[in-house]
Amino acid sequence: MRPPRMLRVALIVLGVGLFAWGAEAWAETIYVQARTAQLRAGKTSLDAVVGNVKFGDALEVVGRDGNWVEVKTSAGAKGWIFANKTASSKPSGTNDTLAKLGQSMRGGDASATTASAGARGLDKASEGYANRAGVSARDRDAVDRMTAYQIPDQEVEEFLREGGLGEYAK
Amino acid sequence: MRSNHRLAATLILLALGAAGCAEIQRAGEDIARKSGNPRLAGAIHGVGNVVGSLLPIGYEEEVSIGQAMALQVVARYGGVVDQPELVRYVNLVARAVANTSDRPDIPYRVAILEHDSINAFAAPAGYIFVTRGLLKQIRNEAELAAVLGHEIAHVSQKHILDVIQRSKRLAGVTEAGLSYATSNPAAFKTVIDGAVKKLLDEGLDQEKETEADVVGEVFATRVGYDAEAYVGLLARLREPKGDDRALFKTHPNFSARIEAVQNTIQSKHLAATGVLLQERFVRMTKRV
Repeated sequence: MRPPRMLRVALIVLGVGLFAWGAEAWAETIYVQARTAQLRAGKTSLDAVVGNVKFGDALEVVGRDGNWVEVKTSAGAKGWIFANKTASSKPSGTNDTLAKLGQSMRGGDASATTASAGARGLDKASEGYANRAGVSARDRDAVDRMTAYQIPDQEVEEFLREGGLGEYAK
Repeated sequence: MRSNHRLAATLILLALGAAGCAEIQRAGEDIARKSGNPRLAGAIHGVGNVVGSLLPIGYEEEVSIGQAMALQVVARYGGVVDQPELVRYVNLVARAVANTSDRPDIPYRVAILEHDSINAFAAPAGYIFVTRGLLKQIRNEAELAAVLGHEIAHVSQKHILDVIQRSKRLAGVTEAGLSYATSNPAAFKTVIDGAVKKLLDEGLDQEKETEADVVGEVFATRVGYDAEAYVGLLARLREPKGDDRALFKTHPNFSARIEAVQNTIQSKHLAATGVLLQERFVRMTKRV
């Protein structure tokens, strides 16, 4: 005897649901373990960049080939990422919950930049330290400049490309 | 303090921990003070600080520590090299390595110390130093990447922060000197001076140096630099002369370090890629 129509529909829906859940549960997730990374149309550094991802982003693994992983972002974008820029576990990041709580409980506004130091400069605590320790203006300026020192991501990428490093390896 | 005060302080502390919110601590202090109980307010404040001193150091605090230590390193080593192209090159190598390190989400900056001794240091929050003397010993970019990888590893593994927190606990210091970085600069100075002494005079524990070697080697090879390059550099540094003996004080037992790196290369199958980039290194550092 065939089961009633409603029951059959319910079983089909359940089956489809279980299949979808299973596929979701088995999908491998990896995380971006680089400050920034590019998704490419193919598995070489010569392929066009189709998207950018950043540290900690979750990516669903679609496939692997050598040093490259084909991934899908949470927004649905697909592309290839250099495997060394990913990790299998979610990176904790610099300020984890405990560190944030500790800092908050210690009441620190220590990093507030002083007015005299300007926008780029030493924070209030280190400027206070410099005063107490008698650090010269020349040495303060050196650390000030060091703090402000920046190289755009694009120039780092170009440096890697020129040297055949990272995903540009020959 | 009466026992019910202690109980109240403990309960508020538990609520505070459970909620993960320091505002509760301040609110508790406020309520106790307004209800005419300054002792209870003091107790809540004190207990909060004890817990706070046991929790990890946050990034903003780390920046304060890193900057203050950097000031002392620069002062002790007679200033930094002012050669923009050279500084840029060393920073590019550091960025290349740091980008795929285990802690790529903070800025790293490298300064070259105007000093002929052979050494390198890392202060928290990514303040890295190499001496002119060390740069003169390095023969290719892969060796430089390994040295910078070692220093980046000290930062990513939070070695100095660990020293600071451990020394506070050993000394039974309950209130974190860090919390008074601005309101009690004398306490902050004590913390920084102790950390600088450890970094520049005594050196970190052998265990931390070995860990930095191993982790740094992994960082440098992740970018594609030749895994054997660092072994070659360490072997050359094993037999320094004269003033260079200072290196042994802060980075002891080179033979054990070489062995640890070689074991890592084998166990992690790190590749001898042949990527040394000697020509680029020589071109960029000819004025060292």
